[in-house]
Amino acid sequence: MERKVITIYHGPQHPGITGNMSVELDLMGETITRARTHVGYLHRGFEKLIERRTIIQAFTIVCRICVPEPDPNEANFALAVERLAGIEVSERASYIRVMVLEMARLGAQLLWMAGQSGSVGLGTVGQWSIYDRDLILDLFEQLTGGRVYHMYIYPGGVRRELPDGFLERLSALLDYLQKRLDAYDRLFFDNASFQKRAIGVGVVRGEEVLRRGFSGQVLRGCGFARDLRRDNPYLLYDQLEFDIPTQSAGDVYARALVRRAEMRESIRILRQVIAQMPEEGAIMQKLPKHRKFTLPKEDTYVAVESARGEFGYYMAGDGSEMIRRMQVKGPSLIHAFSLLEPLLVGEELSNVALIMNSLGICPPEIER
Amino acid sequence: MMSYLEEHYELIHKTPRLFALHVTREQLLDTLHQITTHTSFDTLSQLTCTDWIEEERFELGYMLTNALRSHNLMLKCSIARDKVTMPSLALLFAQAEVMERELHEMFGIGFEGNETLYDFALEGWCDIPPMRREFDTLAYVNAHYDFREGREDNLDVKEEIKKRKAAAKSAKETPSGA
Repeated sequence: MERKVITIYHGPQHPGITGNMSVELDLMGETITRARTHVGYLHRGFEKLIERRTIIQAFTIVCRICVPEPDPNEANFALAVERLAGIEVSERASYIRVMVLEMARLGAQLLWMAGQSGSVGLGTVGQWSIYDRDLILDLFEQLTGGRVYHMYIYPGGVRRELPDGFLERLSALLDYLQKRLDAYDRLFFDNASFQKRAIGVGVVRGEEVLRRGFSGQVLRGCGFARDLRRDNPYLLYDQLEFDIPTQSAGDVYARALVRRAEMRESIRILRQVIAQMPEEGAIMQKLPKHRKFTLPKEDTYVAVESARGEFGYYMAGDGSEMIRRMQVKGPSLIHAFSLLEPLLVGEELSNVALIMNSLGICPPEIER
Repeated sequence: MMSYLEEHYELIHKTPRLFALHVTREQLLDTLHQITTHTSFDTLSQLTCTDWIEEERFELGYMLTNALRSHNLMLKCSIARDKVTMPSLALLFAQAEVMERELHEMFGIGFEGNETLYDFALEGWCDIPPMRREFDTLAYVNAHYDFREGREDNLDVKEEIKKRKAAAKSAKETPSGA
Protein backbone atom coordinates (compact mmCIF):
# COMPACT_ATOMS: atom_id res chain seq x y z
CA MET A 1 0.00 0.00 0.00
CA GLU A 2 1.33 3.43 -0.90
CA ARG A 3 2.07 5.59 2.14
CA LYS A 4 1.19 9.19 1.60
CA VAL A 5 2.42 12.34 3.37
CA ILE A 6 -0.35 14.78 4.12
CA THR A 7 0.03 18.34 5.40
CA ILE A 8 -2.30 19.83 7.97
CA TYR A 9 -2.38 23.08 9.90
CA HIS A 10 -2.66 22.69 13.66
CA GLY A 11 -4.13 26.09 14.55
CA PRO A 12 -4.55 29.03 14.74
CA GLN A 13 -8.19 28.11 15.42
CA HIS A 14 -7.69 24.97 17.42
CA PRO A 15 -8.39 24.22 21.08
CA GLY A 16 -5.03 22.52 21.39
CA ILE A 17 -2.96 25.51 20.38
CA THR A 18 -1.61 27.94 22.96
CA GLY A 19 -2.96 31.16 21.51
CA ASN A 20 -2.92 32.51 17.96
CA MET A 21 -0.31 30.34 16.35
CA SER A 22 -0.20 27.62 13.78
CA VAL A 23 2.01 24.60 13.34
CA GLU A 24 2.19 23.22 9.82
CA LEU A 25 2.61 19.47 10.12
CA ASP A 26 3.59 16.86 7.56
CA LEU A 27 2.10 13.55 8.61
CA MET A 28 2.81 9.99 7.65
CA GLY A 29 -0.23 8.34 9.15
CA GLU A 30 -0.34 9.72 12.68
CA THR A 31 3.39 10.39 12.86
CA ILE A 32 4.82 13.86 12.29
CA THR A 33 7.63 13.96 9.75
CA ARG A 34 8.11 17.72 9.62
CA ALA A 35 6.85 20.70 11.63
CA ARG A 36 6.95 24.38 10.83
CA THR A 37 5.79 27.12 13.17
CA HIS A 38 3.81 30.06 11.77
CA VAL A 39 3.12 33.25 13.68
CA GLY A 40 1.67 36.62 12.73
CA TYR A 41 -1.97 36.13 13.61
CA LEU A 42 -1.68 38.55 16.51
CA HIS A 43 0.96 41.00 15.32
CA ARG A 44 -0.02 44.35 16.81
CA GLY A 45 3.13 46.31 16.16
CA PHE A 46 3.64 47.20 19.81
CA GLU A 47 7.37 47.76 19.52
CA LYS A 48 6.76 50.20 16.68
CA LEU A 49 3.97 52.02 18.52
CA ILE A 50 6.15 52.41 21.61
CA GLU A 51 8.77 54.30 19.60
CA ARG A 52 6.26 57.10 19.06
CA ARG A 53 5.00 57.33 22.63
CA THR A 54 6.06 58.89 25.88
CA ILE A 55 6.84 56.70 28.85
CA ILE A 56 3.39 56.75 30.39
CA GLN A 57 1.81 56.15 26.99
CA ALA A 58 4.09 53.19 26.30
CA PHE A 59 3.39 51.84 29.77
CA THR A 60 -0.25 51.22 28.89
CA ILE A 61 0.83 48.96 26.03
CA VAL A 62 3.48 46.72 27.54
CA CYS A 63 1.19 44.64 29.75
CA ARG A 64 -0.65 43.52 26.61
CA ILE A 65 2.42 41.87 25.16
CA CYS A 66 1.66 38.61 26.95
CA VAL A 67 -1.97 37.97 27.83
CA PRO A 68 -1.62 35.13 30.37
CA GLU A 69 1.24 36.81 32.17
CA PRO A 70 1.30 40.60 31.79
CA ASP A 71 3.10 41.58 34.98
CA PRO A 72 6.67 40.56 34.02
CA ASN A 73 6.28 43.03 31.15
CA GLU A 74 5.40 45.83 33.53
CA ALA A 75 8.31 44.89 35.78
CA ASN A 76 10.77 44.81 32.89
CA PHE A 77 9.54 48.11 31.54
CA ALA A 78 9.84 49.77 34.94
CA LEU A 79 13.26 48.24 35.68
CA ALA A 80 14.65 49.31 32.32
CA VAL A 81 13.35 52.89 32.55
CA GLU A 82 14.58 53.17 36.13
CA ARG A 83 18.03 51.95 35.20
CA LEU A 84 18.31 54.38 32.29
CA ALA A 85 16.85 57.32 34.22
CA GLY A 86 18.72 56.55 37.46
CA ILE A 87 15.63 56.09 39.62
CA GLU A 88 15.80 54.17 42.91
CA VAL A 89 12.72 52.38 44.18
CA SER A 90 11.76 52.13 47.85
CA GLU A 91 11.96 48.87 49.76
CA ARG A 92 8.21 48.79 50.31
CA ALA A 93 7.51 49.24 46.59
CA SER A 94 9.99 46.46 45.79
CA TYR A 95 8.21 44.11 48.16
CA ILE A 96 4.87 44.96 46.57
CA ARG A 97 6.38 44.28 43.15
CA VAL A 98 7.62 40.86 44.27
CA MET A 99 4.17 40.15 45.63
CA VAL A 100 2.52 41.08 42.34
CA LEU A 101 5.00 39.01 40.32
CA GLU A 102 4.51 35.92 42.48
CA MET A 103 0.73 36.26 42.43
CA ALA A 104 0.99 36.54 38.65
CA ARG A 105 3.23 33.46 38.54
CA LEU A 106 0.70 31.45 40.52
CA GLY A 107 -2.11 32.63 38.28
CA ALA A 108 -0.12 31.79 35.16
CA GLN A 109 0.66 28.28 36.44
CA LEU A 110 -3.02 27.66 37.20
CA LEU A 111 -3.92 28.84 33.71
CA TRP A 112 -1.22 26.57 32.29
CA MET A 113 -2.70 23.67 34.24
CA ALA A 114 -6.07 24.31 32.60
CA GLY A 115 -4.51 24.20 29.13
CA GLN A 116 -2.34 21.18 29.79
CA SER A 117 -5.11 19.15 31.40
CA GLY A 118 -7.43 20.04 28.53
CA SER A 119 -4.89 18.70 26.05
CA VAL A 120 -5.22 15.24 27.62
CA GLY A 121 -8.98 15.39 28.08
CA LEU A 122 -9.03 16.05 31.82
CA GLY A 123 -11.54 18.90 31.64
CA THR A 124 -12.39 19.00 35.34
CA VAL A 125 -8.87 20.11 36.26
CA GLY A 126 -9.24 23.19 34.07
CA GLN A 127 -12.57 24.10 35.62
CA TRP A 128 -11.00 23.95 39.07
CA SER A 129 -7.80 25.77 38.22
CA ILE A 130 -9.54 28.57 36.30
CA TYR A 131 -11.77 29.09 39.33
CA ASP A 132 -8.73 29.26 41.58
CA ARG A 133 -7.00 31.66 39.23
CA ASP A 134 -10.09 33.84 39.38
CA LEU A 135 -9.61 34.13 43.12
CA ILE A 136 -6.16 35.58 42.44
CA LEU A 137 -7.66 37.89 39.84
CA ASP A 138 -10.17 39.07 42.47
CA LEU A 139 -7.25 40.22 44.58
CA PHE A 140 -5.63 41.88 41.58
CA GLU A 141 -8.87 43.73 40.97
CA GLN A 142 -8.88 45.01 44.55
CA LEU A 143 -5.26 46.08 44.26
CA THR A 144 -5.10 47.56 40.79
CA GLY A 145 -8.64 47.94 39.49
CA GLY A 146 -7.94 45.45 36.69
CA ARG A 147 -8.24 41.70 36.61
CA VAL A 148 -5.98 40.68 33.72
CA TYR A 149 -4.11 43.86 32.75
CA HIS A 150 -3.03 45.67 35.86
CA MET A 151 -0.93 48.67 34.77
CA TYR A 152 0.35 48.78 38.32
CA ILE A 153 4.14 48.46 38.35
CA TYR A 154 5.29 51.82 37.02
CA PRO A 155 8.77 53.34 36.83
CA GLY A 156 9.45 54.73 40.29
CA GLY A 157 7.40 52.20 42.24
CA VAL A 158 3.80 51.05 42.11
CA ARG A 159 0.72 53.09 41.41
CA ARG A 160 -1.52 52.44 44.39
CA GLU A 161 -1.20 51.70 48.08
CA LEU A 162 -2.46 48.30 49.25
CA PRO A 163 -6.17 48.37 50.15
CA ASP A 164 -7.05 47.88 53.83
CA GLY A 165 -6.80 44.23 54.85
CA PHE A 166 -5.24 43.18 51.56
CA LEU A 167 -2.37 41.18 53.04
CA GLU A 168 -4.78 39.31 55.33
CA ARG A 169 -6.94 38.38 52.39
CA LEU A 170 -3.88 37.31 50.42
CA SER A 171 -2.75 35.18 53.36
CA ALA A 172 -6.16 33.50 53.55
CA LEU A 173 -6.05 32.81 49.82
CA LEU A 174 -2.60 31.22 50.18
CA ASP A 175 -3.95 28.91 52.90
CA TYR A 176 -6.73 27.90 50.55
CA LEU A 177 -4.43 27.40 47.56
CA GLN A 178 -2.00 25.33 49.61
CA LYS A 179 -4.78 22.82 50.26
CA ARG A 180 -5.90 22.97 46.66
CA LEU A 181 -2.42 22.04 45.47
CA ASP A 182 -2.77 18.75 47.35
CA ALA A 183 -6.06 18.19 45.55
CA TYR A 184 -4.42 18.97 42.20
CA ASP A 185 -1.80 16.32 42.95
CA ARG A 186 -4.52 13.70 43.26
CA LEU A 187 -6.61 14.98 40.38
CA PHE A 188 -3.92 15.80 37.86
CA PHE A 189 -0.22 15.29 38.59
CA ASP A 190 -0.61 11.81 40.12
CA ASN A 191 -3.38 10.86 37.73
CA ALA A 192 -2.42 7.79 35.69
CA SER A 193 -4.20 9.22 32.60
CA PHE A 194 -1.90 12.22 32.58
CA GLN A 195 1.21 10.25 33.49
CA LYS A 196 0.67 7.76 30.67
CA ARG A 197 0.31 10.58 28.17
CA ALA A 198 3.16 12.75 29.46
CA ILE A 199 5.97 10.42 30.50
CA GLY A 200 8.57 9.90 27.78
CA VAL A 201 6.94 12.45 25.44
CA GLY A 202 8.66 15.61 24.12
CA VAL A 203 12.01 14.77 25.64
CA VAL A 204 14.64 17.55 25.82
CA ARG A 205 18.03 16.52 27.18
CA GLY A 206 21.75 17.09 27.14
CA GLU A 207 24.31 19.78 27.89
CA GLU A 208 23.53 21.36 24.53
CA VAL A 209 20.23 22.79 25.82
CA LEU A 210 22.12 25.48 27.74
CA ARG A 211 23.80 26.77 24.58
CA ARG A 212 20.56 26.87 22.64
CA GLY A 213 19.06 29.64 24.74
CA PHE A 214 16.22 27.67 26.32
CA SER A 215 14.95 28.73 29.71
CA GLY A 216 12.32 28.11 32.35
CA GLN A 217 10.88 24.64 32.86
CA VAL A 218 12.62 23.39 29.71
CA LEU A 219 15.99 23.75 31.49
CA ARG A 220 14.78 22.87 34.95
CA GLY A 221 12.92 19.84 33.60
CA CYS A 222 16.20 18.35 32.42
CA GLY A 223 18.18 18.99 35.56
CA PHE A 224 19.58 22.51 35.21
CA ALA A 225 18.63 24.67 38.19
CA ARG A 226 18.52 27.97 36.32
CA ASP A 227 16.28 30.74 37.57
CA LEU A 228 17.04 34.44 37.18
CA ARG A 229 15.52 35.17 40.57
CA ARG A 230 18.61 33.53 42.02
CA ASP A 231 21.15 33.55 39.18
CA ASN A 232 20.83 37.23 38.27
CA PRO A 233 18.69 38.61 41.10
CA TYR A 234 16.44 41.62 40.75
CA LEU A 235 14.11 43.41 43.19
CA LEU A 236 14.45 41.65 46.57
CA TYR A 237 14.70 38.03 45.51
CA ASP A 238 18.20 37.71 46.94
CA GLN A 239 16.70 38.35 50.37
CA LEU A 240 14.04 35.66 50.11
CA GLU A 241 14.35 31.95 50.64
CA PHE A 242 13.11 29.62 47.96
CA ASP A 243 14.25 26.50 46.13
CA ILE A 244 14.59 25.97 42.42
CA PRO A 245 12.85 22.68 41.68
CA THR A 246 14.36 20.44 39.02
CA GLN A 247 13.65 17.11 37.36
CA SER A 248 15.93 15.02 35.22
CA ALA A 249 13.75 13.21 32.68
CA GLY A 250 13.33 16.21 30.36
CA ASP A 251 9.88 15.13 29.19
CA VAL A 252 6.43 16.71 29.38
CA TYR A 253 5.81 15.12 32.75
CA ALA A 254 9.08 16.41 34.19
CA ARG A 255 8.19 19.94 33.15
CA ALA A 256 4.76 19.54 34.76
CA LEU A 257 6.35 18.37 38.01
CA VAL A 258 8.66 21.38 37.99
CA ARG A 259 5.64 23.65 37.66
CA ARG A 260 3.86 21.82 40.45
CA ALA A 261 6.78 22.44 42.81
CA GLU A 262 7.13 26.05 41.65
CA MET A 263 3.58 26.82 42.73
CA ARG A 264 4.50 25.75 46.25
CA GLU A 265 7.63 27.90 46.09
CA SER A 266 5.59 30.93 45.01
CA ILE A 267 3.34 30.45 48.04
CA ARG A 268 6.47 30.23 50.20
CA ILE A 269 7.81 33.47 48.75
CA LEU A 270 4.49 35.24 49.18
CA ARG A 271 4.32 34.26 52.83
CA GLN A 272 7.79 35.77 53.38
CA VAL A 273 6.73 38.94 51.58
CA ILE A 274 3.68 39.27 53.81
CA ALA A 275 5.82 38.79 56.91
CA GLN A 276 8.71 41.05 55.89
CA MET A 277 7.06 43.92 54.02
CA PRO A 278 7.66 47.25 55.81
CA GLU A 279 4.38 48.68 57.03
CA GLU A 280 5.28 52.18 55.98
CA GLY A 281 7.27 53.79 53.23
CA ALA A 282 6.79 55.54 49.93
CA ILE A 283 5.37 53.42 47.15
CA MET A 284 6.28 55.87 44.37
CA GLN A 285 9.24 58.16 43.82
CA LYS A 286 8.81 61.69 42.62
CA LEU A 287 9.07 61.58 38.84
CA PRO A 288 9.61 64.29 36.23
CA LYS A 289 6.48 65.64 34.60
CA HIS A 290 5.04 63.67 31.71
CA ARG A 291 6.68 65.62 28.86
CA LYS A 292 9.93 66.13 30.76
CA PHE A 293 10.42 62.46 31.59
CA THR A 294 13.31 61.79 29.21
CA LEU A 295 15.76 58.93 28.86
CA PRO A 296 19.46 59.53 28.13
CA LYS A 297 21.09 58.25 24.95
CA GLU A 298 22.03 54.93 26.48
CA ASP A 299 20.78 51.38 26.40
CA THR A 300 20.31 48.54 28.81
CA TYR A 301 18.96 45.03 29.15
CA VAL A 302 16.84 43.78 32.02
CA ALA A 303 15.28 40.37 32.54
CA VAL A 304 13.01 38.67 35.00
CA GLU A 305 12.08 35.03 35.46
CA SER A 306 8.52 34.73 34.24
CA ALA A 307 6.35 31.67 34.89
CA ARG A 308 7.61 30.32 31.55
CA GLY A 309 11.27 31.35 31.50
CA GLU A 310 13.57 34.30 30.95
CA PHE A 311 11.68 37.41 29.93
CA GLY A 312 13.92 40.30 28.96
CA TYR A 313 13.66 43.82 27.58
CA TYR A 314 16.32 45.66 25.63
CA MET A 315 15.69 49.39 25.90
CA ALA A 316 17.47 52.36 24.36
CA GLY A 317 16.84 56.04 24.98
CA ASP A 318 17.88 58.95 22.76
CA GLY A 319 17.61 61.98 25.03
CA SER A 320 13.98 62.62 24.18
CA GLU A 321 10.77 61.76 26.04
CA MET A 322 10.18 58.87 23.60
CA ILE A 323 11.73 55.45 23.96
CA ARG A 324 14.05 55.00 21.01
CA ARG A 325 13.85 51.21 20.94
CA MET A 326 12.30 48.58 23.12
CA GLN A 327 12.76 44.98 22.06
CA VAL A 328 11.11 42.11 23.87
CA LYS A 329 12.83 38.81 24.44
CA GLY A 330 10.45 36.22 25.81
CA PRO A 331 11.06 32.49 26.08
CA SER A 332 8.52 31.72 23.36
CA LEU A 333 10.47 32.81 20.28
CA ILE A 334 13.20 30.23 20.77
CA HIS A 335 10.88 27.58 22.23
CA ALA A 336 8.33 27.85 19.41
CA PHE A 337 10.84 27.71 16.57
CA SER A 338 14.24 26.33 17.53
CA LEU A 339 12.81 23.81 19.99
CA LEU A 340 9.25 22.91 19.01
CA GLU A 341 9.93 22.28 15.31
CA PRO A 342 12.56 19.54 15.79
CA LEU A 343 10.87 18.21 18.93
CA LEU A 344 7.64 17.39 17.12
CA VAL A 345 9.30 15.26 14.45
CA GLY A 346 8.61 11.60 15.19
CA GLU A 347 5.82 12.39 17.66
CA GLU A 348 2.18 11.44 17.26
CA LEU A 349 -0.32 14.09 16.14
CA SER A 350 -2.21 13.71 19.42
CA ASN A 351 0.86 14.88 21.35
CA VAL A 352 1.25 18.26 19.64
CA ALA A 353 -0.91 20.20 22.10
CA LEU A 354 0.64 18.39 25.03
CA ILE A 355 4.19 19.27 23.98
CA MET A 356 3.35 22.87 23.07
CA ASN A 357 1.75 23.48 26.44
CA SER A 358 4.68 21.99 28.26
CA LEU A 359 7.09 24.45 26.60
CA GLY A 360 5.15 27.49 27.79
CA ILE A 361 4.76 29.03 24.36
CA CYS A 362 2.82 32.31 24.28
CA PRO A 363 2.43 33.54 20.67
CA PRO A 364 1.53 37.20 21.44
CA GLU A 365 4.95 37.58 22.97
CA ILE A 366 6.67 36.25 19.82
CA GLU A 367 5.25 38.75 17.38
CA ARG A 368 4.47 41.64 19.78
CA MET B 1 35.88 35.13 32.51
CA MET B 2 36.03 38.88 33.00
CA SER B 3 39.82 39.07 33.10
CA TYR B 4 40.07 37.66 29.57
CA LEU B 5 37.53 40.16 28.28
CA GLU B 6 39.16 43.10 30.04
CA GLU B 7 42.57 42.09 28.78
CA HIS B 8 41.54 41.81 25.16
CA TYR B 9 38.66 44.23 24.65
CA GLU B 10 37.47 47.67 25.67
CA LEU B 11 34.75 46.46 27.95
CA ILE B 12 31.92 48.78 28.98
CA HIS B 13 30.55 47.98 32.44
CA LYS B 14 26.87 48.88 32.32
CA THR B 15 26.01 47.17 35.61
CA PRO B 16 27.94 44.63 37.71
CA ARG B 17 26.32 41.89 35.63
CA LEU B 18 25.84 43.54 32.24
CA PHE B 19 28.72 44.40 29.90
CA ALA B 20 29.03 45.66 26.37
CA LEU B 21 31.72 45.97 23.75
CA HIS B 22 31.80 47.43 20.27
CA VAL B 23 32.92 45.41 17.27
CA THR B 24 32.95 46.09 13.57
CA ARG B 25 31.10 43.94 11.08
CA GLU B 26 34.39 42.36 10.02
CA GLN B 27 35.41 41.57 13.60
CA LEU B 28 32.09 40.06 14.65
CA LEU B 29 32.58 36.37 13.84
CA ASP B 30 36.15 36.23 15.07
CA THR B 31 35.30 38.07 18.29
CA LEU B 32 32.36 35.75 18.91
CA HIS B 33 34.55 32.76 18.32
CA GLN B 34 37.20 34.05 20.74
CA ILE B 35 34.68 34.93 23.43
CA THR B 36 32.77 31.64 23.23
CA THR B 37 36.08 29.74 23.31
CA HIS B 38 37.80 31.61 26.15
CA THR B 39 34.94 32.67 28.39
CA SER B 40 31.71 31.12 29.61
CA PHE B 41 29.60 33.48 27.48
CA ASP B 42 28.50 30.73 25.13
CA THR B 43 24.78 31.30 24.58
CA LEU B 44 23.08 33.78 22.28
CA SER B 45 19.97 34.94 24.06
CA GLN B 46 18.81 37.90 21.98
CA LEU B 47 19.54 39.75 18.78
CA THR B 48 18.48 43.39 18.84
CA CYS B 49 18.45 46.18 16.30
CA THR B 50 18.07 49.92 16.81
CA ASP B 51 17.61 52.28 13.89
CA TRP B 52 19.67 55.47 14.31
CA ILE B 53 18.32 57.02 11.14
CA GLU B 54 19.84 60.45 11.81
CA GLU B 55 23.29 58.82 11.94
CA GLU B 56 22.48 56.59 8.95
CA ARG B 57 23.25 53.40 10.81
CA PHE B 58 21.67 50.38 12.42
CA GLU B 59 23.07 49.20 15.70
CA LEU B 60 22.83 45.46 16.17
CA GLY B 61 23.19 43.95 19.60
CA TYR B 62 24.22 40.32 20.06
CA MET B 63 23.29 39.48 23.63
CA LEU B 64 25.34 36.64 25.07
CA THR B 65 24.77 34.94 28.36
CA ASN B 66 26.73 32.37 30.32
CA ALA B 67 25.74 28.84 31.27
CA LEU B 68 24.90 30.01 34.80
CA ARG B 69 22.68 32.77 33.39
CA SER B 70 24.28 35.17 35.84
CA HIS B 71 25.90 37.69 33.47
CA ASN B 72 25.14 39.21 30.08
CA LEU B 73 27.47 40.56 27.46
CA MET B 74 26.26 42.56 24.48
CA LEU B 75 28.35 42.79 21.34
CA LYS B 76 27.33 45.95 19.52
CA CYS B 77 27.90 46.32 15.84
CA SER B 78 26.98 49.35 13.75
CA ILE B 79 26.28 48.96 10.07
CA ALA B 80 25.32 51.48 7.40
CA ARG B 81 21.58 51.57 6.74
CA ASP B 82 22.13 51.33 3.00
CA LYS B 83 24.51 48.37 3.20
CA VAL B 84 22.50 46.04 5.26
CA THR B 85 24.01 42.59 5.27
CA MET B 86 25.58 40.72 8.11
CA PRO B 87 27.13 37.28 8.40
CA SER B 88 24.67 34.78 9.82
CA LEU B 89 25.37 33.18 13.18
CA ALA B 90 23.12 30.22 12.47
CA LEU B 91 26.06 27.81 12.32
CA LEU B 92 27.32 28.96 15.71
CA PHE B 93 23.92 29.18 17.41
CA ALA B 94 20.84 27.37 16.12
CA GLN B 95 18.56 29.94 17.75
CA ALA B 96 20.13 32.74 15.66
CA GLU B 97 18.22 31.49 12.63
CA VAL B 98 14.81 32.70 13.78
CA MET B 99 16.21 35.87 15.38
CA GLU B 100 17.83 36.85 12.09
CA ARG B 101 14.65 35.99 10.23
CA GLU B 102 12.72 38.45 12.37
CA LEU B 103 15.25 41.27 11.88
CA HIS B 104 15.31 40.58 8.15
CA GLU B 105 11.58 41.12 7.97
CA MET B 106 11.36 44.07 10.34
CA PHE B 107 14.48 46.03 9.24
CA GLY B 108 15.37 44.56 5.86
CA ILE B 109 18.77 43.32 7.05
CA GLY B 110 20.21 40.43 5.07
CA PHE B 111 22.06 37.65 6.85
CA GLU B 112 24.50 35.85 4.59
CA GLY B 113 24.28 32.11 5.10
CA ASN B 114 20.83 32.03 6.65
CA GLU B 115 18.58 30.00 4.35
CA THR B 116 15.35 30.72 6.24
CA LEU B 117 14.80 34.41 5.59
CA TYR B 118 11.21 33.98 4.46
CA ASP B 119 8.09 35.51 6.01
CA PHE B 120 8.08 35.66 9.78
CA ALA B 121 5.08 37.48 11.26
CA LEU B 122 4.04 39.50 8.19
CA GLU B 123 2.53 37.63 5.29
CA GLY B 124 3.26 38.90 1.81
CA TRP B 125 4.61 42.24 3.08
CA CYS B 126 5.83 44.44 0.23
CA ASP B 127 6.18 47.86 1.85
CA ILE B 128 9.24 49.32 3.63
CA PRO B 129 10.34 46.97 6.44
CA PRO B 130 8.07 48.30 9.18
CA MET B 131 10.55 48.76 12.02
CA ARG B 132 12.65 51.19 10.00
CA ARG B 133 12.17 54.70 11.29
CA GLU B 134 11.02 56.06 7.93
CA PHE B 135 8.04 53.70 7.93
CA ASP B 136 5.05 55.82 8.96
CA THR B 137 2.49 53.66 10.75
CA LEU B 138 -0.25 56.30 10.65
CA ALA B 139 0.19 56.95 6.93
CA TYR B 140 0.12 53.19 6.28
CA VAL B 141 -3.07 52.77 8.29
CA ASN B 142 -4.76 55.71 6.54
CA ALA B 143 -3.78 54.33 3.15
CA HIS B 144 -4.88 50.74 3.78
CA TYR B 145 -7.78 50.80 6.22
CA ASP B 146 -11.14 52.56 6.55
CA PHE B 147 -12.40 53.98 9.80
CA ARG B 148 -15.38 52.13 11.18
CA GLU B 149 -18.61 54.09 10.96
CA GLY B 150 -19.87 55.56 14.20
CA ARG B 151 -16.45 56.30 15.65
CA GLU B 152 -15.76 59.57 13.86
CA ASP B 153 -16.55 61.73 16.88
CA ASN B 154 -13.83 60.01 18.89
CA LEU B 155 -11.06 60.60 16.41
CA ASP B 156 -9.81 63.79 18.05
CA VAL B 157 -9.94 63.52 21.82
CA LYS B 158 -9.18 67.19 22.43
CA GLU B 159 -11.98 68.28 20.10
CA GLU B 160 -14.34 65.84 21.75
CA ILE B 161 -13.57 67.23 25.21
CA LYS B 162 -14.17 70.77 23.91
CA LYS B 163 -17.50 69.72 22.44
CA ARG B 164 -18.61 68.09 25.66
CA LYS B 165 -17.61 71.10 27.73
CA ALA B 166 -19.49 73.41 25.37
CA ALA B 167 -22.57 71.15 25.52
CA ALA B 168 -22.44 71.07 29.33
CA LYS B 169 -22.05 74.86 29.48
CA SER B 170 -24.93 75.39 27.11
CA ALA B 171 -27.14 73.00 29.12
CA LYS B 172 -26.30 74.94 32.28
CA GLU B 173 -27.12 78.30 30.71
CA THR B 174 -30.39 77.08 29.22
CA PRO B 175 -33.06 76.88 31.98
CA SER B 176 -34.64 73.44 32.24
CA GLY B 177 -38.05 73.13 30.63
CA ALA B 178 -37.37 76.18 28.41
